[in-house]
Amino acid sequence: MADNSDEHDKPGLITINVKTPKEKQTVQVKEGASVRELKEEIHKKFNAPVEQLCIIFAGKIVKDDETLEQHGIKNGLTVHLVIKSVNRTASETPPNITSSSASAAPDVSQTPFNLGGLGGLAGLGGLGMGSANFMEMQQRLQREMMSNPDMMRQLMDNPFIQSMMSNPEMMRSLLMNNPQMRELMERNPEITHMLNNPELMRQTMELARNPAMLQELMRSQDRAMSNLESIPGGFNALQRMYRDIQEPMMNAAQETIGSNPFASLVNNSSVAENTQQGRENTDPLPNPWGGSTTTPASTRLAGSAPAGTPNFSQGMFNSPGMQSLMQQMMQNPQIMSNMLQAPYMQSMMQSLTSNPELAQQVIASNPLFANNPQMQANLSSMMPTLLQQMQNPELQSMVTNPRAVDALMQIQSGLSTLQQESPNLFSNLTGVRNVPTTTTGVSAPATTTPSSTTAPTTGSATTPAGQQGNPEAFSTLMAQMMQMMVGGQQNSTQPPEQIYASQLEQLSTMGFVDREANIRALIASFGDVNVAIDRLLQHR
Amino acid sequence: MESTSSPVKVYVYDISMGMARALSQGILGRQIDGIWHTGIVVYGQEYFFGGTGGIEACAPGGTVLGQPSEVIDLGITEIPFDVFMDFLHELSETTYRPEKYHLFHHNCNNFSSELAQFLTGKDIPCHITSLPQEVLSTPFGAMIQPFVDAMHVQGGHSPFQ
Repeated sequence: MADNSDEHDKPGLITINVKTPKEKQTVQVKEGASVRELKEEIHKKFNAPVEQLCIIFAGKIVKDDETLEQHGIKNGLTVHLVIKSVNRTASETPPNITSSSASAAPDVSQTPFNLGGLGGLAGLGGLGMGSANFMEMQQRLQREMMSNPDMMRQLMDNPFIQSMMSNPEMMRSLLMNNPQMRELMERNPEITHMLNNPELMRQTMELARNPAMLQELMRSQDRAMSNLESIPGGFNALQRMYRDIQEPMMNAAQETIGSNPFASLVNNSSVAENTQQGRENTDPLPNPWGGSTTTPASTRLAGSAPAGTPNFSQGMFNSPGMQSLMQQMMQNPQIMSNMLQAPYMQSMMQSLTSNPELAQQVIASNPLFANNPQMQANLSSMMPTLLQQMQNPELQSMVTNPRAVDALMQIQSGLSTLQQESPNLFSNLTGVRNVPTTTTGVSAPATTTPSSTTAPTTGSATTPAGQQGNPEAFSTLMAQMMQMMVGGQQNSTQPPEQIYASQLEQLSTMGFVDREANIRALIASFGDVNVAIDRLLQHR
Repeated sequence: MESTSSPVKVYVYDISMGMARALSQGILGRQIDGIWHTGIVVYGQEYFFGGTGGIEACAPGGTVLGQPSEVIDLGITEIPFDVFMDFLHELSETTYRPEKYHLFHHNCNNFSSELAQFLTGKDIPCHITSLPQEVLSTPFGAMIQPFVDAMHVQGGHSPFQ
């Protein structure tokens, strides 16, 4: 309030602060002045026509013919000023609120995951990261959730989320606001039906909130579905159902993640046979406690689709449906080769290679490898090389070429025969010692291991059904195969002693004096000292 | 002139959903009952200043935060709706543009405070407006600043058609 000093001397003048949204100025008027006079002063200072001036004090518009004293506008107080615009663009009446209760939904930004509305929740995901761009943060959140399934559960437990989910209106509008969802709904009116049924929505949300309940439901549903398979014509109906409903939904929900992970479930081209057809499903019920925590979307639980999908990598491969599929594939190698040929397999592998975390997840969840930490360690050390190999188009073409796969299978069977017949020769050739004879069941699918270690479906087929086989021998064999592939391209000229010189040194300082054994162990472990040590200790 | 008055209320929400009340004493070293977000409800709509959309309006209690944890009555305003909208319009183009949002220094509560004063001459309770300062004065407050920064309240639309 910079006043000239002589203003203080003049009696009867009071200073009023006038505040507009844009600026704040001071105005002097006489004591006892009327509002009109104040407006005159303001007009001079703000350069606005008097008619457009609106002075507000204490929540009331002061009228021209009133005095400042009447309203209690005293020296040093602040009044608000609104300069009315001539052309009124804003509506003159208050908006009608009675009709807006139905559309009271939050306005979510267009993200596939529908997290746009969860302002506070997104903060959880961006913990410590502090991003300004919401979309970017949300992408990050998604990625984070993919690599950490626990997070999903935590998310669910957040009371914020729960309270939001318990409001069916909100959930529904959330779903409606997603354009992909809307598209889906247009194509499949059943989904709209489903969404409009509040009872079902509520149930769905209950399920989404309560993972145990969800699991239970999934199990019973999977059971029902697999029994459905055995009904003649049932399998086709299932396929159709999947194709029409689930696939686009999964596609819509997972565009950012990559290819449709369920693609491998649909062997729609060449494999029409269903080994279960005509027989009732006599498999034992899948182990509920060994299964996944959050499972992928089913056709009924549309509401939980957005919530359940990020865990697809873990949930999908552990689901009973998937496991039974794997079994089927093992029993019928034809399926496997067909599958490998399919284009979606390619894209799936591609997405796996581009996302090593995903591949890791996939491997980890694979029941075969899950029980064998050593193999896991093996795999994870080999992973980068494996993935590199996957990128190699030659390898890819080889894998998809059924004749090449056959040839590999023959090699493998030849090797195992050789092993049986002449173990010494075999060990000299490949450096693998003390390998108990493996059944031929190992050999056939084992050839696909280079390609299949990233695809759990074939990975599970690398051991005979249910039997763990010889993980040690198998992993060594696999390592050998990998070595051959790698060696074919890169370090073919360098002897292993040179490649692993430093590791060898480490091993020898630790007391492993057998240089030969060290080298072999290092080769098998791809230079990973710890794994090599494990190996050495086991062989003793 | 027809009667154009409207009651004015302040809707107070706790963004932390109770976490602040439970954890603040232990983490911050001082008790903070909530991380407050406010909106002013007048003329049948709730107006608030959000980070992404600037000044937004929605049905009362229509943000993702749901129902307010506290409703403070500020009395009645006699400012006609069109004047109010003019004022709001000017605000949204000057001091309350979306990019001007700063969680600690120029946030929804600042907006609510200004709006409340305009409408009624009264301010919103000081425990709300002084919150950022209280939090920032603790070492932990400075630490969680990025975390809280990422939180924005959404759920409204522009009040100007």
